[in-house]
Amino acid sequence: MSSKRINPTILVIIMLGIGLQITFAHSVSTNIVVIFVTCLYLCYCKASGKLLILTSLYAFPLALGSWWSFIMFGTGDVWHTAWIYASRVYAYLYLGAIVTLTVSVKNILLSLSLHLKLSSTFVYGLLASFNLLGRIKHQYKTIRYSAMMRGTTYHFWNPSLYLRVIIVALNWSQDLAEAMTSQGFTEGAARTLTYKDNLPKWQWCLATFLILLYFVFSFLVRPW
Amino acid sequence: MQTVDHTKKGWSVKDVIFLAIIAIFFGIIYQVWSFAYYAIAATPLKPYANDLTLGVWIMAGPLAGVLLKKVGASVVGELLAAAVEMLLFSSWGASTLISGFIQGIGNELGFAATGYKNWGRLGLLLSAIGSTIITFVWDWFQSGYSEYHVGLLVSLFVIRFVSIGFFSGVLVYWIKKLVNRSGLIK
Repeated sequence: MSSKRINPTILVIIMLGIGLQITFAHSVSTNIVVIFVTCLYLCYCKASGKLLILTSLYAFPLALGSWWSFIMFGTGDVWHTAWIYASRVYAYLYLGAIVTLTVSVKNILLSLSLHLKLSSTFVYGLLASFNLLGRIKHQYKTIRYSAMMRGTTYHFWNPSLYLRVIIVALNWSQDLAEAMTSQGFTEGAARTLTYKDNLPKWQWCLATFLILLYFVFSFLVRPW
Repeated sequence: MQTVDHTKKGWSVKDVIFLAIIAIFFGIIYQVWSFAYYAIAATPLKPYANDLTLGVWIMAGPLAGVLLKKVGASVVGELLAAAVEMLLFSSWGASTLISGFIQGIGNELGFAATGYKNWGRLGLLLSAIGSTIITFVWDWFQSGYSEYHVGLLVSLFVIRFVSIGFFSGVLVYWIKKLVNRSGLIK
């Protein structure tokens, strides 16, 4: 991985550190700054423009709905409130995107296990399951089609649909866990790693600085 | 060499994979379901869309609880579902993970109130009440519920409780009964 990028662990810390504060902040300007800075970073990392535009379009109904609902049902300064919550949707979206669109799932999980000591049981368990994504999608179709063969359509409120899902999950998790064990995976044991992940000190400072800066601006300065 | 300790109470890699696979299935089910949500969410009725559908997003937590019957299963189950959701499907970005954690805490408190002894009707009822209150308080800040009229808030709270009560309570209870009858999980 290029050393000029921010480490995935630091990205996750920034995402959670600022994301949590956004929830309690009441400022349109800080939201816009967050959107602007995260977009700059996304461009710098050459994140997929198509995906970015797609997710932005996808989030538009949410932002519009938030905005509109405050105009209709809000109390106090409805315009200010409406813009806060509409811009917040995008602040959250791009804040998440700096993690999910610039780093692969594998690198995020391995980096977290290295620097934040996330348990290897979770890291490798999750990795194993993410690799099944294609098969799970396929299985979901199979479940629905086989029910249709018997003349029933599964809606998401049908308990039987979830029973099928649970049966598949039970079987596959058993098989995968056994396969991992037979390949030498031991829960909680020390592991040798071939994965290299640089985390220079200045990046920890960067995360702390950004989180504190956000705090000062949104809770002490409190711009519009 | 045997490397799996079947007697231990903590989290095994099998549990993690089990919940993650269920979470991915949920992600796929949510995708279909979210079209209905988006249709209402693009209008001023968005808060209603939120509260009406909330129960579905929360299901993973109590389901993990009643299936694994472990301390922390609801939080971990919901957090895993949120992580999967954020990494693979989400249009909510960073808030997915944080909300997932909050929702899981709400459910967990309900089971904790029974001393982790009741995973049946009472546990599920308390877990539904727990997550209704906790998520409502959370939305007070996150989704700006503090700015709405009182009348709207009351109706939202009732709708939220009905949604969570049905999907994360009654439906999870039915699923649990089916699973028990099938004898899959002891």
